[in-house]
This record gives sequence, C-alpha cells and structure tokens, in this order.
Amino acid sequence: MTEDARHFKTELAIIGSGIAGFAASIFALNRQLDCAQIGNTGAVAYTTGYLDLLGKTEDNEGAFKNTHDNPWDGLKQLRTTHANHPLSQIPQADIEEGFKQFTAFLGECGIAYTSPGVNNITALTPVGTLKKTLCLPATMAAGPKAFAAKKKCVIIDFKGLKGFSGRQVVANLIDQWPALSTQRVSFPEMLSGEIYPEVMARALEVPATRVKLAELLKTAAGEAKIIGLPAVLGMHSPDTVRTELERLAGLEIFEIPTMPPSVPGIRLREMFEQVFPQKGVTLIPQQKVTSLTFNDQGAQLSLADNYGPITIDTQAVILATGRFLSGGLEAHIEGIEEPLLGLPVTQPADRTSWYHEKYTGPTGHAIHKTGIEVDSSFRPLASDGTPFDERLFAAGIILAHQDWIRGRSGAGIAIATAYKAVEAVEKFLRA
Amino acid sequence: MSDTNKIPTINFKESAMELLPEGASFEACLTCGLCSSGCPASGIENMDPRKFIRMAMLGMDEELSTTPWVWCCTQCKRCQHVCPMNIDISQLIFLARGNWPLENKPSGIVRSCQLIRSTDSTSAMGLPPDDFIFVVDDVLEEVRETQPQFKAMEAPMDKKGAHFFVNQNSREPMNEPDEMVPLWKILDMVGADWTYGSKGWAAENFCMFSGDEEAWFEVIKTRVDSVNELGCNVWLNTECGHSYYTMWNAIDKFDLDVNFKLESLITYYAQWIREGKLPVNSDWNVNKIKFTVQDPCMIVRKAYGESIAEDMRYVVEKLVGEENFIDMQPNRSANYCCGGGGGFLQAGMTDHRRTYGKRKFDQIAATGAAYVLTPCHNCHSQMEDIGHFYGGNYGVVHFWTLICLSLGILGENERTYLGPDLLALLD
Repeated sequence: MTEDARHFKTELAIIGSGIAGFAASIFALNRQLDCAQIGNTGAVAYTTGYLDLLGKTEDNEGAFKNTHDNPWDGLKQLRTTHANHPLSQIPQADIEEGFKQFTAFLGECGIAYTSPGVNNITALTPVGTLKKTLCLPATMAAGPKAFAAKKKCVIIDFKGLKGFSGRQVVANLIDQWPALSTQRVSFPEMLSGEIYPEVMARALEVPATRVKLAELLKTAAGEAKIIGLPAVLGMHSPDTVRTELERLAGLEIFEIPTMPPSVPGIRLREMFEQVFPQKGVTLIPQQKVTSLTFNDQGAQLSLADNYGPITIDTQAVILATGRFLSGGLEAHIEGIEEPLLGLPVTQPADRTSWYHEKYTGPTGHAIHKTGIEVDSSFRPLASDGTPFDERLFAAGIILAHQDWIRGRSGAGIAIATAYKAVEAVEKFLRA
Repeated sequence: MSDTNKIPTINFKESAMELLPEGASFEACLTCGLCSSGCPASGIENMDPRKFIRMAMLGMDEELSTTPWVWCCTQCKRCQHVCPMNIDISQLIFLARGNWPLENKPSGIVRSCQLIRSTDSTSAMGLPPDDFIFVVDDVLEEVRETQPQFKAMEAPMDKKGAHFFVNQNSREPMNEPDEMVPLWKILDMVGADWTYGSKGWAAENFCMFSGDEEAWFEVIKTRVDSVNELGCNVWLNTECGHSYYTMWNAIDKFDLDVNFKLESLITYYAQWIREGKLPVNSDWNVNKIKFTVQDPCMIVRKAYGESIAEDMRYVVEKLVGEENFIDMQPNRSANYCCGGGGGFLQAGMTDHRRTYGKRKFDQIAATGAAYVLTPCHNCHSQMEDIGHFYGGNYGVVHFWTLICLSLGILGENERTYLGPDLLALLD
C-alpha cells in the first residue's frame, strides 16, 4: 500500500509529556519559539493538581525532616547544604517567573490557580494528612483556608467511590479540626457499582446533574456553610462547575485531591492536549521517541504512531523524559541507564545500595537521586564532563541529585528547570 | 449466548506474550486504573479493563473466556490511549471474541458477517451486486428528472481507471437510498473522477467484530481485488468509521498486495473546501444553531489521529460558523466511543449498550448543541438511540447533508435528518 511518512520541521523538540515537558512548551510559546512536543503519556494524569516548590529538606542525618513554611528560605538553605540540587542552580527570580508564567497559562486556558506567594500553603491530602505546597487549583483553595480558620465543615464522599473516604479524612484531622464531620451521598444516576471521579466530573459538566447533586449536598451539609468534596467538580470547566454548584447549593465548596486516577491530572492533560495544537505546537503526546541523532545542521527524532512513521527535524532538543515510570531512566541488573542516548547516569555504586532498609523512612532511597548531570545551561554532560551536544538540553526529574518525592518539590523542579532550559535554548538559537 | 459451557478456555497470559510487540508486557501494568476510569464499559457485567488485565495476570482464564463483557467492550482502544504503559487490551478482546463458538456469539454480529460473505457486494445487509446497481440507477434517474440542476449527474459503476473507488454503507441503498444523492452531488460538483465497484462496494465489516480472522481477511481480499481490478488510485472511504479501520488494519495484518491509497472522504471535504471546489459557507445559519462533532474512534484514535480530527473541525466550522461549533469534551483521540461500535448495535444487548452510551449522552448534553455531525453510521445510529432513550433533544446529521444544505442543493427527499429548525430555513 502506498503510505506517506510524515515529516515535521521545528526549532525546538521537547521530548516528554509530564509537567516538565508541558512547562517547556509553555515557556517556548511565551518566547515565540517554534516547537514540537513528543512523548508517551506521562505521569501528569497522576498529579494531585498541587504545584509544590519545596516542602521539605534534609537534616544533618539525611532525613527529610525540615518542613518549610517559606519555600524560598528553604531554597536558600538548600543552596548551602546541597549545591548540586537542580533548584540550587536557579536564581529565585527565575523560579518565581517560571511559576508565574506556568500558572498564568493554566488560568488563561480554563484551570485557574492561586498565585505563587511568599509562603507555602498547608494543603489537605486525599487521606486527610497535611502537606506543604506553593500553588493549588482555585477549586481547592477554600479547603486550606477553612482548615486554618477551623470552620464548621462537612467532608462529603460518595457511595461506590473507592480511594476517597470522608471518615478517613476526618479521623486524621479531627484533633486539629474539631468542627469537621463527614456525610456520604449517592451520586445522581450512579446508584450501583464502582464509580470513578472522572465519570462524576464529566457528569457534572451537564447542568441537570449539578441541579440534582446540589440538592443532595444541601441536605448533607446540615448547618455547615462549607463542604469539601473529592475532586470531581467538572473536567473541562472546573471553575464554572464549582461556581454553579455553590450557587445552587448555597454553600462554599472546595475539592480535595483523590488517589489516582484523579481528575486534576486528567484536567491538565486534556487541556494541554487541546490547547497546544491550537497555539501552534506540534503535539504528539502518545508515542515514545525511538531514536534521536545529532548532526552539524541539527537533530532528528524518529517515532511512529498508529498511522505510521514520523520524523522531526529540529535545531534543539529538550530531554524531559522523567525517571523510571515514564522510561527516562531504566533500571537493569547491572545498573541504571538513560535509554535514548545512553547518557551517563549518576547513581549509587552498586545495586545493593539503591534502597535504604527502611522503605518508608524519612531518609528515602539513594536510587531516587539518580539522574543525568547538566552544565549551567542545562546541557546534559557526556562521560568526559563536556556537553553531549550543543543542541541538547534537559529538564525535570531526569536530573540527578534530587528526591522530588520526599522533598515535595516535583513541580518546582519540573517548572524551574524547564524555564532555564528553554531560556538556554533561546540563547543558543538566537546566538 | 446462554450455554457458556462450550466456550474453550484461553490461556490469556500466554497469548498476550505472543500477541504483544517486543518490549511490551501486561506485567508493566501499574494498576493505576486510568483505563477503567476512562472506559464507558466499566462496570458492565461487573468487569472493567483493569480487572480484565489483572484477572489475566492471575490466570483466571475461565472467567475471562466466558465473560459476555467482551461483547460490550467496543475495542475502541481508549484504554490504551490513556495508559502510561501503552498497554493494548483490545487485542485480548479480539482473541476472546474469536474463541466463542459461533452459536454462542451474539447472533446479530454473526448474521451480519454471514451476509457480508454471501455476495460479492460484501454487504452486511446481503444486498447483491445486481440489486445495488439497480438501486443506484433508479435513484439517479429520479434525481436527473426531478432536479434539473443535476440532469447530467453520473453515478459510475465499474469504471476502469477511475481515480476514486467509492464505498457505500449498505444502509443507504437498502433503507434510505436518497441519502446517497448528497454524496453524488458533492462528487459531481468537485468534478471527481470516481466509480462504485459492483464487487466490494459495501463499507461495513462485522467479521472483524465477530473475531473471525479468516472471514475478515476474505472480505477485505474481495474489496482489495475489486479496487485493483478497476485500477483505481484511491479507495475512498465515505461516511463510515469501521470500514476504514478494518481495511487499513487488515492490509497490514494480512500483508495484502495493494496498488492504491486508502483515504477518508473527510480529508477530501477539507481539501475541496480549501481549494474552493466546494464553496460552502455558514451564511444560512442565521439563527446560530449550535453543532458539535463526534470523532469516530475507528478513523481518529485508531487510525489517522489528530490530522483527520483537525480536518473535521475545519469542515464543520466552515459549514456552521466558527462561533456555532462547540467541541465535545473530551475530543479528538481522547473522545469516548459512542457505544455503537464493535458490533454493539448488532449484538442485541440493548440495556448494556445504552448504559455504555450514557457517557456519550452526557458529553453531548454538556455542549448544549442542537445537532451532532459525524462521519460514521454506527455513531449516527447509537447517538440517535441514546438521545431518544435519555430524553435528549438533539439531532444527528451526516456531513454530506449539511454540505449540500450549505450549498443550497439539498433535495426534498434528502432531508430525513433535519429537525424543524433546519427545515424552516429551507422553506
């Protein structure tokens, strides 16, 4: 059969479709760079929606026990104690600007966020514990405020919804928040079997469903004026759904993130996938790049989708392929590898030291600091310590020397390093 | 489907290893549940995609071999689309379907496949070539007589060397022959060099849905031979979803020798509008009637991807006005299957099919649109059915209808799918 291979040409190709990849595309758009973003479905659908910058740092024993109400102070400390941490390489003004541009973009595209401020917000987790984060979706903003003011509040959960229990949330918070209670309701027209947050969120995009749910919420709220719901308030237009539901129920409503598969992550992913092509980004979000080669004129990426082979010629590349889950790094018996280019990976000396014996301990695991090395322009380094190629840059959690999970710094690393990588790409391209 | 004792047991884990490309593995499943969360068939027959994979990994082969859920999964591949590990569950469903003894399979699907193989037409409604030729001639003659503007219009049959070999869903010549006319008018207007083939003209292919590989191959072979014999350059798939996928996928799967390209009419609608050959506009839509579009899985997510989704939106916006087009959420490759695919409409499982379709109904309701446009007959029928069932007040229209409406050439007998609001504009 006659089949045409598809070919694209661009200035910047971003490999990866997690937060770092999407952030890089936003910064490239803001700098008027022509760009393409490619990469298998990332872990972005797993996010709570919170954008952490830095919640915890290590104490003298290497345990993540220093909690930071002010992340910027935490970063100052990090620069002295962990100079090779990616965030230690980036001036505060650039991190602020990155967060500002990222959240502004999300807001313009229909998912409003709180502005990044001086202090961390104490936010609720799906199980009713607390964590520090810098920004959260507007649909979640009232929760931490209600917690801080200890207002009378009812946490609502739903019959058939697994992974979110009002009783659990209340049990974990009741000592600090005595006016908290819980009620269970049956979601309209979903009376039997397991139901998913995604399904409820989509149903709430329909005005008639909101009317029915609002009636149930009014009853469940009792005398409380504020209620917390698992994150199900719409998929495409969450702010409208929340406002409408608040109006119909006469209540203040906030969302609490749920366990994956959670709505806030799917919201972000679907928004990016719709908005980027409209803004001129060549987005191929479902496929892995199978080869990347460099020559004097540029770089070439190869991949294939359902329909056939694709090649992309580009002037610069940002590697934002993440760690193990998304395949940016691969763990083998003999060690950890970067599979696309074979870049050297900084890692523990041997396999036996990958994990600490206390799995959930505050020290974390050495394997969670593995990654690639970069220079001050976020260019990955080859084994001789020089840049692998002048056209190659990197961003996100593929970078070594950070444990974003225990540091509560995933979005911070993704956004700030993407900001710097795109800045360096622009400098290179316009030189 | 009553006597499930006769269904042999498949070793799903072993089969999965054989089916999957190198490097892929069901063991890579993180059990995150994005597949089930995003699947309209989740919960039907107490099954969902994640459960299916977990049960396969646990060796619960008997349960999986016999679950009727395999006929409720439409093999739309949305689970794979949202899976971070890119796990393809639909292949196991195909395998499980094929494993059911013929007498246990949903009789509607089996019967459709049998009818497809009963004549050279490859028509799921069993319309033989001579009858198709008769219907086409008859309708053409009437149009020539009653619509003077089209008195010289042709509907060529078996024309050697024509550029396009055009297929047709059997529903038109069988049940609503006037619906062929808007397509002919469009092809006439752009001056397309086209032909039907009396052999292999039909679009649908339920043999793939029955899991019968041999029959699937046979049907596609007939169609490929017909296009090759006529020496056409392009097999043009008209407004039917799975016809494209079954042909395109089979050519690769069965390694068929093909001397032509497979193309979708949607691509050409967009091209002809861009070139000015189809001078459509939205001036007629004075009342700002709202439209949405349904992306058929079979040509968007499972085949062309975003390019055809973009073409569809380009065409719709030109036809109804940019401000009158409201996209469904989610859309394009992330769109939900309507629940009419995979043979579900023919499987006789009405309650399950409507449960599945609730997601689509909610999507349409959320747009508030008065009409859904879709280039797929199964999507069309299913969305009409769930609209009636769940109390919606939207209509479903073919692209060709709206194109001819915009061009002012929609004949009186070609207005079946127009509601009073659109009909009023034509009076």
